[in-house]
Amino acid sequence: MGMDEQAQVSRSSMGRSSADGLQRHVHLGFLRKYAVVFVLLALILVFSLVSDSFFTVRNLTNIVTQNTYFIIVAVGLSFVLIAGGIDLSVGYQMSLVGVVTAMMMVLWSFPVWAAVVLGLALGTVLGLVNGLIVARIKTFPLIVTLATSVIFQGISYIVSQARTFRDFPSAFQFIAKGRLGGVPLDVWLTLLIVVVVALIYYQTKWGMRVVALGGNEEALRLAGVSTRRTKTWVYMACGFLTAVATMVMVSKANSVQSSFGPGTEFTALTAAIVGGVSFLGGEGNIPALVAGVFVLAVLGNGMQLAGWGVYAQFIVRGAILLAAVAFDEYQKSLKLRVKA
Amino acid sequence: MTTTTVAAATEYVVQLRRISKRFGGVHALREVDLELRRGEIMGIVGDNGAGKSTLMKILSGAYVADEGEIWVNGRKVRIRNPQDSARLGIAMIYQDLALFNNFDVTKNIFIGRELTRGPMGLVLDKKRMYRETQELIRELKVDIKSPRQNVASMSGGQRQMVACARAIAFKSTILIMDEPTAALGVTEANKLLGLIRNLADKGISILLITQRIPDVLAIADRVFVLKGGERQGVLDVGKVTLDDVVTLIVRGKDRAGEAPGDVMYKSFG
Repeated sequence: MGMDEQAQVSRSSMGRSSADGLQRHVHLGFLRKYAVVFVLLALILVFSLVSDSFFTVRNLTNIVTQNTYFIIVAVGLSFVLIAGGIDLSVGYQMSLVGVVTAMMMVLWSFPVWAAVVLGLALGTVLGLVNGLIVARIKTFPLIVTLATSVIFQGISYIVSQARTFRDFPSAFQFIAKGRLGGVPLDVWLTLLIVVVVALIYYQTKWGMRVVALGGNEEALRLAGVSTRRTKTWVYMACGFLTAVATMVMVSKANSVQSSFGPGTEFTALTAAIVGGVSFLGGEGNIPALVAGVFVLAVLGNGMQLAGWGVYAQFIVRGAILLAAVAFDEYQKSLKLRVKA
Repeated sequence: MTTTTVAAATEYVVQLRRISKRFGGVHALREVDLELRRGEIMGIVGDNGAGKSTLMKILSGAYVADEGEIWVNGRKVRIRNPQDSARLGIAMIYQDLALFNNFDVTKNIFIGRELTRGPMGLVLDKKRMYRETQELIRELKVDIKSPRQNVASMSGGQRQMVACARAIAFKSTILIMDEPTAALGVTEANKLLGLIRNLADKGISILLITQRIPDVLAIADRVFVLKGGERQGVLDVGKVTLDDVVTLIVRGKDRAGEAPGDVMYKSFG
């Protein structure tokens, strides 16, 4: 489904584009950025036709509120991806940050603000660990974060002793349950993060350097920028935002155990790639990334309402990731052809 | 004594004195002297393995000389890394160019020393960067349509021009170019050579490593010839022919005066 849509969009755009190489390039860039929005609209249209209960205020609101923490993780992960890296450990970062924050509140009676601040600090440190290893040992971030992921998993289960913690102080539950102007607080929080991160990319020197790092690391080094430091920061930012997402997730569930969080990395990664973040780094934009999260969300929700079952969703998600990566490659090859 | 040294030194923007460099048992450079004048284009020529790139990399900080002195603008300096070299206003434009294909011209020029505004320089001053790039394009008369053009869609010659513009924007006064025309077609190469001449006329001093001797004869003021890591001589372009240069490259200074016969110009690269 997603694949068909994307292929169609790209073909029609090819047909429209002029012979001028530059113009076609601009077209491709536009297409690359917003193909995902058309995919999303098409999915919404299809599920509205298939199920009566899909296109209702209640259901659409659910889709948004159930996915705020995925958006936050995906936005955090975008730093790493756009810088040319990857972080597979975000799922177990959430697991570890979640249980530790919960234990501070439930077992050790920390004030909520202190538990949250320390939880966010812990997440940032986990990101720092990834960043330092990736930047110092110049090896594949895929393997590094796969390794740290397993380590975080171990620590999370040892710390929590596989217990479940629930019934948090009301101040903590307020993160997900509170409302401002009728809109849930976590939706506001997500919106704030999306806007701030988009501004970081478009308007700051640091954001520009992150994109540059993903584009050509050696050239950035020759330009006198410490690529090591930039890399370390990128993983830290990802760790921090992952921890923020953890707070939202735990608050929403009002319960946590070490198995909460893992799997998020796959969703966030798929959403980012579907949203046009290049797996090779150097490219991506935040609005499309958010649309990418919603593509997966709408698909999951719609398939459930259409009665397609949970397991079929896995197959579709995997297929979507493959399609998105193939689309990415296809566009790269088009660009090369335009250049030649 | 001291005064004469200083006077002699300030005549040149760069002086390399008795530079030697060894890689293991190989003598890559043997007591090489080089003097570059302000606003001059000096061709650096020699066969493969003659030591051209090694000599230039010593000036750009990629290598450190085993022996010898470097003088820049009349002062003895130490160049231990590319940053030292950049601080002295020296920029090397690499063959592989070090551009960002995911960026437009402006971002390629300003990355690493971005213009900012606002409190603590938090916000990129895009307007000023685009405007300055536009001015640079006009000033250098380079063949680039817009400061917003993406470099991935550019030709090899245009990319070279972006790399040059970047060096100029960084206030470099000494440019080292490594085979800039090697991958270019005739038209593109001529445009680029025009730009290089243009830069020299603005007072920028240029060291041009190349295998294409006709390029050198077309735009350089002098040609510096290396062979086997040793200086063979410096020729005034106005006073020599292609044959003279090629003879020196192939035979070296000791046999250059012999009758021609075994020396032919073979399109060098």
